[in-house]
Amino acid sequence: MAELLDAPAPEAATAPAGTGGPEARLPGLLLAAVAVIATCGLIYELIAGTLASYLLGDSVTQFSTIIGAYLFAMGIGSWLSKFLEGSLLRWFIRLEILVGIVGGCMAPLLFVSFEYVASFRLLLYTLVGLTGVLVGLEIPLLMRILENRYPFKDLVARVFTVDYIGALLASLIFPLVLVPQLGLIRTSLVFGALNLAVAAVVLARFPETRPYRRRFGVGIAAALLGLSALFVFANKLLAYTETLAFQDQVIYSKSTPYQRIVITRNPRELRLFLNGNLQFSSADEYRYHEALVHPLMQALPLARRVLVMGGGDGLAVRELLKYPHLQSIRLVDLDAGMTELFKHNELLLALNKGSLNNAKVQVINADAYQWIRQDTARYDAVIVDFPDPGNYSIGKLYSAAFYTALAKRLAPGGRLVVQSTSPFLARQSFWCVAHTLAAVGLHTIPYHLYVPSFGEWGYVLAGPDTHWRGDLSPLPPGLRYITPATIHDMLRFPPDMSEVPTEVNQLNNQVLVRYFEEDWGPYVH
Amino acid sequence: MPTRRSFLAQGGAALTGALLLPVLPGCAPAPLAHIKGQLLGQDAATGHLLRDPGKIPAPTRTIQTEVLIIGGGVAGLSARRWLHRNGQPNTLLVELAAEIGGNAAAGRNAASAYPWGAHYLPVPDVRNTELLDFLQEAGTLTGYAADGRPIYNEYHLCHDPEERLNIQGHWQEGLVPGLGLSAADQAQFARFFKLVETLKVAKGHDGRDAFRIPLDQSSADAEYQQLDSISLADYLACEGFTAPALLWYLNYGCRDDYGATAAQVSAWAGLHYFASRKGLAHNATGSDVLTWPEGNHFLADNLRRQASAPIQTRTLAYDLRETASGVEVLTYDVATRQSTRVQARQVLLATPQHIAHRLLAAVPGHALPPPGTLHHAPWLIANLTVTGLPQGPGRPLSWDNVRYGSASLGYVNATQQSVKQDDGGPKVITMYWPLTDEAPAPARRRAYQTAYADWLPRVVAELETYHPGVTPYIQQADLWVWGHGMVAPTPGLLWGAARQAAMQPVRNRIFFAHTDFSGISFFEEGFYQGIRAAQEILVVNG
Repeated sequence: MAELLDAPAPEAATAPAGTGGPEARLPGLLLAAVAVIATCGLIYELIAGTLASYLLGDSVTQFSTIIGAYLFAMGIGSWLSKFLEGSLLRWFIRLEILVGIVGGCMAPLLFVSFEYVASFRLLLYTLVGLTGVLVGLEIPLLMRILENRYPFKDLVARVFTVDYIGALLASLIFPLVLVPQLGLIRTSLVFGALNLAVAAVVLARFPETRPYRRRFGVGIAAALLGLSALFVFANKLLAYTETLAFQDQVIYSKSTPYQRIVITRNPRELRLFLNGNLQFSSADEYRYHEALVHPLMQALPLARRVLVMGGGDGLAVRELLKYPHLQSIRLVDLDAGMTELFKHNELLLALNKGSLNNAKVQVINADAYQWIRQDTARYDAVIVDFPDPGNYSIGKLYSAAFYTALAKRLAPGGRLVVQSTSPFLARQSFWCVAHTLAAVGLHTIPYHLYVPSFGEWGYVLAGPDTHWRGDLSPLPPGLRYITPATIHDMLRFPPDMSEVPTEVNQLNNQVLVRYFEEDWGPYVH
Repeated sequence: MPTRRSFLAQGGAALTGALLLPVLPGCAPAPLAHIKGQLLGQDAATGHLLRDPGKIPAPTRTIQTEVLIIGGGVAGLSARRWLHRNGQPNTLLVELAAEIGGNAAAGRNAASAYPWGAHYLPVPDVRNTELLDFLQEAGTLTGYAADGRPIYNEYHLCHDPEERLNIQGHWQEGLVPGLGLSAADQAQFARFFKLVETLKVAKGHDGRDAFRIPLDQSSADAEYQQLDSISLADYLACEGFTAPALLWYLNYGCRDDYGATAAQVSAWAGLHYFASRKGLAHNATGSDVLTWPEGNHFLADNLRRQASAPIQTRTLAYDLRETASGVEVLTYDVATRQSTRVQARQVLLATPQHIAHRLLAAVPGHALPPPGTLHHAPWLIANLTVTGLPQGPGRPLSWDNVRYGSASLGYVNATQQSVKQDDGGPKVITMYWPLTDEAPAPARRRAYQTAYADWLPRVVAELETYHPGVTPYIQQADLWVWGHGMVAPTPGLLWGAARQAAMQPVRNRIFFAHTDFSGISFFEEGFYQGIRAAQEILVVNG
């Protein structure tokens, strides 16, 4: 603020008008500056709109609201320009430095903060608003600086011509050159540097800037250095957002002590990956989760207490909440990073309908195996939704010892269901899960369905008796896949997925991990 | 895969480092300075008081017991338990160390419990019913299947993956070298394992198994016992086993089980290691093992808990005399610095033979060999708390991790039995290193004289050969030197007359139990020795 309160520099004394020489070219320089800042201004708007559609989806809404907010903020900036008095040139240089910093950092800031801030939209619109206000100040200020150099009609014509040419330039190079060549983060940084360059050129070429030239020069140099550092950094940062590893745009990535969570988006769907393995696609996850939950729950019309192990995305819980008679749902997921994400991220809340924030739902972040061994409650239904048994650590969660501990937690008549990988791609693995559940004395009902993003997928229902039926009680309204008829169909295994003999998965043999490696090996290598 | 956040952190650290570098000229980093730890071991100072009992104060009190057991290792604890359960609960056990268990010692830190010595038990032979009963009471054996086979607690059976071997930087499954073997070498392995299978089922004319645990129940046939008169190395040479990988593997097995090389142990003992493994289980195979984070301290502690007779730890027995009614032993309590006169009808010396020999200096009539007769190699055990193990290609971290040709025996993952998902937190690995490069006595002297600061670089360098770049991941390295790690079954020891003679009771007052009397140092042998001695005592007491 001290800067703003400075006494204006004695501009008239240092810049005598009409002395000829280089002075005559200066209005032309300022017009060129208009072209540059106009391009920059539109680029920032495009960056914000594109980023918002990447990260939040629904590009029509995002672009529309971002453009609206940006233009409105520019209007505020234009209105505020009348309060700027004193050395206008000095104000202009200040403004360019600010625009360079704020606009330049916009994309990196939004990218990095997406996974950390609670309300991404608030940050997004704050940044868009701030940039808009600053950009809105630019043209009125320049027009006032130039007002004595041209007749009014010429001034307006020239400034706006250059302004719109800059806008056209921006709108063409942004999609054709900048995004494909530089990417959003570096585009943002480059145009921030251009604003700083405008400030630097004006500072160097106008003699009246001499009194504060050194001070501003240092500021510009520091800002340029910062943006350059970010530019180098952004190059590596992008590599770490794993853009290359996924076919779609990565909109979220985070490493927890247990796993790497990555969410990607394309125009049709949102995908969640854990350690690079697809967990669901928003386009067809309803198939997976309806099949996981409803064949079990329709057979337990009197169920009150349900335990979900894994399933930190809250999508199975979303299906469970369709049974109003349930009194409590306890979800045990290892990773607080996962459950917090699915409790708070707006995009994901839309997907799981806020299920993890429901009053009936208790979320416990604990190691499932350790937790089940010390738990004393009984459950009418248990849903086991762990990642596939791809390593020895997870393999223990599919062992006979684990199922023994789990079966002890079933209330009389209670049942459980286990997601059991693909009976087509990993046939031995699937039947090994079924045989392991049978080995601890449970009656098993294997079933499967087709999930387009996964392929054929299988589950094993298990309980203390043979009384399970697929049409025992009415299904909740509004299901998109599961009906009594589809449940009936899911029970049939064609010859290419039919039962194969396997060993029982035990802690001391971990055959399931070995089957899984064998089964998936041909698809990985 | 480096993560974005760790990348930021590393980038920041690198930047800071780059900025600081010019102002820190000539400040060479101490690469091991970040490793905390200490050198532990048996209380040798107190133990050596035995050589100079004049420094110990005279006894200030007298107590009586029926049976005094000197030594709280597996044999002593097993005897105490057996006496307690068979009508003689009036015993007192004294142990020099602060903890019972002998070389089934253990420690614990924030990451895990870990062994300081013996750390597993192979799935037992079902005929060893005493052992099965003990395991059942300990909760390790949970019952019997319809076919009569024991069912073991899954949490105590060693979790998969069990073993891996590093050959030329690649981790293969199992300890039998499989990579880069010629057809001829493979044929030698096949021939050796076929021999083992034959010996496993072989029986002598006396109807006994050729190789059995406990070994005293093995056949007395000369055909088998003569294998005890030559070294394993000589036997292998005679039999045409020359493949370097096979010889490495068998030598590794001898060092692992006996703390001695194939040239130092007898052929009978070397073959017994393989041919006596006849375990059966409903839910495991004969090659499976039972293990716990704290190693065999689990078993020692359960032996202790299965009897209620008193135990005095940190107590040295330093003088033993026969009296008219039995035996009088003077003991010294290290904590209170007071001595006690213990009057007992019988005393069981559950100590190594060289300790027993010293205690019986004034007692005639025993057949103990003089100290130094038995081969006891010194061992170094290192418990390393690591935050990561840079992994080469091949199999993942297993329970037992060995490198082909390495000086140590490799390391065991103490957190193997944890069912927790890996959160990247610290693990404890236990490195085993029998010091077999020179004869036991000079090796022991050298080991006792080596300071922590001299051990640490050797241990770290050894682990670096397993996991290049692991040094920064080592948080803590605690070391333990066992002066007399375990007895080695040198040629002639097992089936010579001296071993049987040495364990004979003296005038039905002084009894002996220790794996030194078996000649091999397995848990099963210590357990058996305790029961054998307890039975001898019970017979005398009628």
